[in-house]
Amino acid sequence: MQPPDDNPNESAFVALLTGIQMPLRLYVQSLLPGDPAAKDVAQQANATLWQKRDDFAPGTNFKAWAFSVARYEVLTYRKKQARDARLVFSEELEETFAEEIAARGDGAEQQHEALKRCLEKLRPQDRELLMHRYAKSGTLHDFAAQAGRSVGGLKVTLHRLRNALLECMQKQTRAQEGLS
Amino acid sequence: MNRQERSQLIDALIEGDISEADFLRLEAEFSVDPAARQEYFDRLALSAALETEAGAASDSGRKIVAMPAPARRWIPAFAAIAAIIIAMAAVAVVLLQNKRPGDAVVAAAPEPKASGFAVIAGQSDTVWKNSPQLADGALLPAGSLQLASGIAQLELFSGVTVVVEGDAEFEIVSPMEMKVAHGKVRARVPEPAQGFRIHTTEGEVVDLGTEFALKVSANQSEVHVLDGEVEWHPRAEAMRRMERGEALSWSADGKGTALAANAAGFVGMSDLREKLTAARASRREDWQRVSKALRRDPRLVAIYQAGTADPGNRRLPNEASAGTASEGAIVAAARVADRWGMPGGALDFSPTGSRVRVNVPGEYRSITLLTWVKINSLDRLYNSLFLTDGHDLHEPHWQIMGDGRLFFSVKKRDKSGRKTGEKDQHIFYSPKFWNASLSGQWLMIATTYDADARMVTHYLNGQVLSQEAVPADYLVENVSIGAASICNWSEPMYRKDAAFTIRNLNGCMDEFALFAAALTPKEIADIYAHGKP
Repeated sequence: MQPPDDNPNESAFVALLTGIQMPLRLYVQSLLPGDPAAKDVAQQANATLWQKRDDFAPGTNFKAWAFSVARYEVLTYRKKQARDARLVFSEELEETFAEEIAARGDGAEQQHEALKRCLEKLRPQDRELLMHRYAKSGTLHDFAAQAGRSVGGLKVTLHRLRNALLECMQKQTRAQEGLS
Repeated sequence: MNRQERSQLIDALIEGDISEADFLRLEAEFSVDPAARQEYFDRLALSAALETEAGAASDSGRKIVAMPAPARRWIPAFAAIAAIIIAMAAVAVVLLQNKRPGDAVVAAAPEPKASGFAVIAGQSDTVWKNSPQLADGALLPAGSLQLASGIAQLELFSGVTVVVEGDAEFEIVSPMEMKVAHGKVRARVPEPAQGFRIHTTEGEVVDLGTEFALKVSANQSEVHVLDGEVEWHPRAEAMRRMERGEALSWSADGKGTALAANAAGFVGMSDLREKLTAARASRREDWQRVSKALRRDPRLVAIYQAGTADPGNRRLPNEASAGTASEGAIVAAARVADRWGMPGGALDFSPTGSRVRVNVPGEYRSITLLTWVKINSLDRLYNSLFLTDGHDLHEPHWQIMGDGRLFFSVKKRDKSGRKTGEKDQHIFYSPKFWNASLSGQWLMIATTYDADARMVTHYLNGQVLSQEAVPADYLVENVSIGAASICNWSEPMYRKDAAFTIRNLNGCMDEFALFAAALTPKEIADIYAHGKP
């Protein structure tokens, strides 16, 4: 019997792959904004990365390589969908996204902690509304119907809550940086 | 664009609720303003984090109910592979927190491994104790095995062939070594495997070439040299060299008695082969009898049996008496032996482009798809069983994912709604049922789609693999098929682009049936019981 970590290359690769999950997902979503299938595409990119793991040259930029694979998955997905390409960013812009998302600090964990703290500061009904909205992949329209609210009103509320969260999280992060 | 408008538009974009004009304005803004892009990333990240947070709170919804598979011993190396796959899946699930029922999780497998030193080459009336019934071609699990009755022929990877007669208890220790606690064993050792040894309580036989037999009981071992030479190494006694025709009975207290070798006392390979051929022929007859009755089932739309067609002919008749489906046209697939070993009774779909073309008119409320296949390997993302051309509204697709899950879907809508989040179809996956150890074994795969019970059920070898309710918004009550391919996928036939996707099954099929109803688990189990080779 061979425990999986007997293969140092594979476990190292898993570690690399684990480390870029957030940026990878962010990148795929930035290319497919508002498309619920973006997560599937990101998953598919993971599968492809795993299949191609032998192609990766250790020591080279893993993130850049992974993003190029992910972009290719996005292109394949778009082709398969054969939808009109109205809502597709220019190629240059997509490349800029890749560079800038790759350059963003990882800090996913601190961000998540900050989010939790900031959620606590919201009114319970607001927190509940957000949790409800993000637990479902349905449309805003469906959600509005369920919640018995107007779409326009809901949009405004959600936008305000997101703004509040972002502002709060940025403050938290700055405070943390100030401490360290 | 002021900051407030910008952030509103970004949120609308992320919600999938943006007009084309606003999209273009935002794109222009992103192109010139790094701060706008950073805000876009920040808001995307916030959405992702909120989803993670919300997902942790509510992970309910439709669940796939995995049925207990026929007990199979997990072999350590498989467990290791499974661990890697699980680790991969965990990476995907934990970090993305986005696994919703029906999402395609394509876990890529590492290089396939299997475990064992021998396969079952043939068996007659075998009853295995303390382990599930082992199929022909199956890898022999590690550890001690008990054959309560019947005869099994094993092929060790070293080239040694062993015939074991029940009641016997034995263990394959390595391709060159075997232990026998009790029972009768006959071994033929080819040149590359000279030095093959069998341990008993009383001693150890080392083969120097060709054939010998052992009869082991509680406190006595008999060694018969049928051809060539062996060495007998008794416990605490000097080695003896034995030649063809010699035999020895050795007791636990170290006493040896010379005997004459008795080949007739042990079932040989050719005896077994005859037995197996006879047994297989009778099973095949049984199936032919049952399948004649089945052909008259009014629910049967189509049944294609490669064995009934004239081997020189590329037409495959639809044998269903009331069946409305067309005959099949064989493309590229070559004829090979069927599941009973009858030459020409099955089609091998591994040559690229292989398929059987059929046309199935009409609309169906419920259907059952059932087939006998022998899979060499699942080397494509999608490995076809039965797919309609292209994928139009209300059409079913039935295939096996590269990771070993069965895939069934019926197209509900023309397009996935980008804004609505609706998908064009719901995919009913079974748990992974296939791995490399099943390669080369004949399997019966079936799936029922029941519009009345709103249930999709997957079956392997007559047993339920999984069941999943059809979500109300994905229910199709008029399944239609039209032009379709068995074991491949055809894009619409009038297209002029010669490039095509490779989805043919790397394997063989000898029978395919389509019913205009969901068969019951009992009916599926019966078909398997009569149809298994």
